[in-house]
Amino acid sequence: MPDLVIRNLHANIADSDTEILKGIDLELSKGEIHAIMGPNGSGKSTLSHVLMGHPGYEVTEGEIIFEGENLLDMAADERSRAGLFLSFQYPFAVPGVTVANFIRMAVNAHRKGGPDGADDPIRIPEFRKQLQDAMEMLEIDKSMSSRSLNDGFSGGEKKRFEILQMAMLKPKLAILDETDSGLDIDALRIVSGGINALMGPDMGTLIITHYQRILDYVEPDRIHVLVDGRIVRSGGPELAKELETTGYAELAKETVS
Amino acid sequence: MSTWLETRRKAAAESSEALGVPSLSDEHWRFTSLRGIDFDRYAVSAEATAGDMAGAILGEGDHAGRLVMRDGGVVAEELLADVAAQGVVFGSLARLADEHAALIEPILGTIVGYDERFAAENGALWTDGLLLHVPAGVKVQLPFHTAYEIATAESAQQWRVIVSLGEGAEATLVEEHLPGQPGYANGVAELVLAETAHLTYVVVQDRNDASLHFAAHRAEIAKDATLEWSACSIGSKTGKTRMETRLTGEGSTGRLSAVYVVDGKRHLDLDTTQEHDAPNAVSDLAFKGVLLDSARSVWRGVIRVAEGAHGTDAYQENRNLMLSPTARADSIPGLEIDTNDVRCTHGATAGPVDPMLKFYLMSRGIPQAEAERMIVEGFLEEALERIPDLRIREALTTAVMRRVPV
Ligand SMILES: Nc1ncnc2c1ncn2[C@@H]1O[C@H](COP(=O)(O)OP(=O)(O)O)[C@@H](O)[C@H]1O
Ligand SMILES: [Mg+2]
Repeated sequence: MPDLVIRNLHANIADSDTEILKGIDLELSKGEIHAIMGPNGSGKSTLSHVLMGHPGYEVTEGEIIFEGENLLDMAADERSRAGLFLSFQYPFAVPGVTVANFIRMAVNAHRKGGPDGADDPIRIPEFRKQLQDAMEMLEIDKSMSSRSLNDGFSGGEKKRFEILQMAMLKPKLAILDETDSGLDIDALRIVSGGINALMGPDMGTLIITHYQRILDYVEPDRIHVLVDGRIVRSGGPELAKELETTGYAELAKETVS
Repeated sequence: MSTWLETRRKAAAESSEALGVPSLSDEHWRFTSLRGIDFDRYAVSAEATAGDMAGAILGEGDHAGRLVMRDGGVVAEELLADVAAQGVVFGSLARLADEHAALIEPILGTIVGYDERFAAENGALWTDGLLLHVPAGVKVQLPFHTAYEIATAESAQQWRVIVSLGEGAEATLVEEHLPGQPGYANGVAELVLAETAHLTYVVVQDRNDASLHFAAHRAEIAKDATLEWSACSIGSKTGKTRMETRLTGEGSTGRLSAVYVVDGKRHLDLDTTQEHDAPNAVSDLAFKGVLLDSARSVWRGVIRVAEGAHGTDAYQENRNLMLSPTARADSIPGLEIDTNDVRCTHGATAGPVDPMLKFYLMSRGIPQAEAERMIVEGFLEEALERIPDLRIREALTTAVMRRVPV
């Protein structure tokens, strides 16, 4: 069985009848990179949020199984500790909490994961070293680690700090929601380099984007096209090129008819 | 006792009598009811009660001077010899009143007048407190640490503080109001900064949860002088604290930050002024509060810009984090501007922890309770990080966060 199985997933905005995800099926295994492409408003961020356990959505039908466990029974923090990571399209500012403190808290929460929940905090020098290495890889200035996370950061900086957190938390499944947006070409190269460096047989990646630009740097094994809350087509990497010429609208029509 | 002091006490007593206890119909007391409080029940302590600073937030550590007032009098005071040698005066106000009448007379009762009931009452009844004078040009690096405590349950402590910094003088004063026993505390602090002086003033109000705490702190800041004022209010049942700054000299700066945590059925009332009487002065007020249970906070702040105070730059904000649906925070900002060419801005908010922000933290593996705590601490940290001294800042952060349940 693939590591991630999404079956007939339907989701509403919480406390409303508005359905955003209308039956999604998707399978992904560690070691694979899949891309989800789709126009604005098609439900890409909703899917990423629902996978992560966002309280603003309600799953009305279907299931999400990760490594044999039902994710829908878990709160967001448990999903994270189970190995999921979401790079947010719009990361939040965390005023008054420094980058270093924030990431250290997150790392320690992950290390506490044992069945007895015993504290096993990372030693500060070891943490500093890891953080410094990851910051170097992403070409982030050292001084940034003592600033409040994302507070007053530019759009591009925020994306780099999402990948920094990913590098420190070493997830088994990374969901990258429009991580390429807001990045200039140099930043895109650096961030993509980071993603590729973290990728390996123990990690699966779901890249969500509405451009194919990032796919020139991070090569997907499969591409899924999401339109109006449904995956209307799946295929190999060549699908990205096809999309570029036909556009989403054509594709959606084709599939429906 | 000197006759000038007697005369002032008498004037204060008359004023206090005439004013009477304020009621909700007084503009400044609209949100704070004193009904049902029997002030006469609390006998004013005239005597000191032996003890130390055990309840203080700021622990042992290097200091330029220390002073403890328990009940009616100062029970412990010390001043480093090399600081004293520079002409610094630090100690019990009652003890020093005669010797330093020349210092005290121009300040006592003139910075904080007798036109408000509690200040007037204190003017009549104060028994002891602090006198700090740093002569011109003297810069004291280590903090002065002072503490005020009610040691005898159900009694009244009338404390008084006078601080005067000479031209170019620098000092840090920490003033802690300790939990002690429940009672009624009423005090006045008068601070005068001469040209280019620099005072860091840290006030921690951690009075007993059943205590009444009334205080009027007021500072006058001369040309190019700077006051860095940080207040932390986590104690007392009800009362009112006035924090007033008057910028009397061109280019002066008054920064005022406060954090407060109010829980249970407690009530906190903070009344502030930023009075710009001179051109090109800067004032900046940032108050951040956390409210729990059925607690209530009131902040009323006025920025007053006098005629001719052009180039004024004044800012005030009050942000409240509501951790309970039955808590309430009122923010009443106000601007009174009598001149053009000024920049005055203000903002006030009250709301719960942002669920989206909480989700962001949880998505990193941080459990819900810890995520909420981090958000609260981060929220308060933005005001606490204005305290320059790291030791003081960390002690306050710990003390404040102790009030926030996990
Ligand atoms: N919390 C919400 N409240 C209201 N509408 C929402 C909410 N979340 C998503 N939507 C709507 O659902 C649709 C899909 O949104 P989203 O998942 O953000 O799309 P995408 O990421 O593909 O651009 C949009 O029409 C959006 O307006
Ligand atoms: Mg989106």
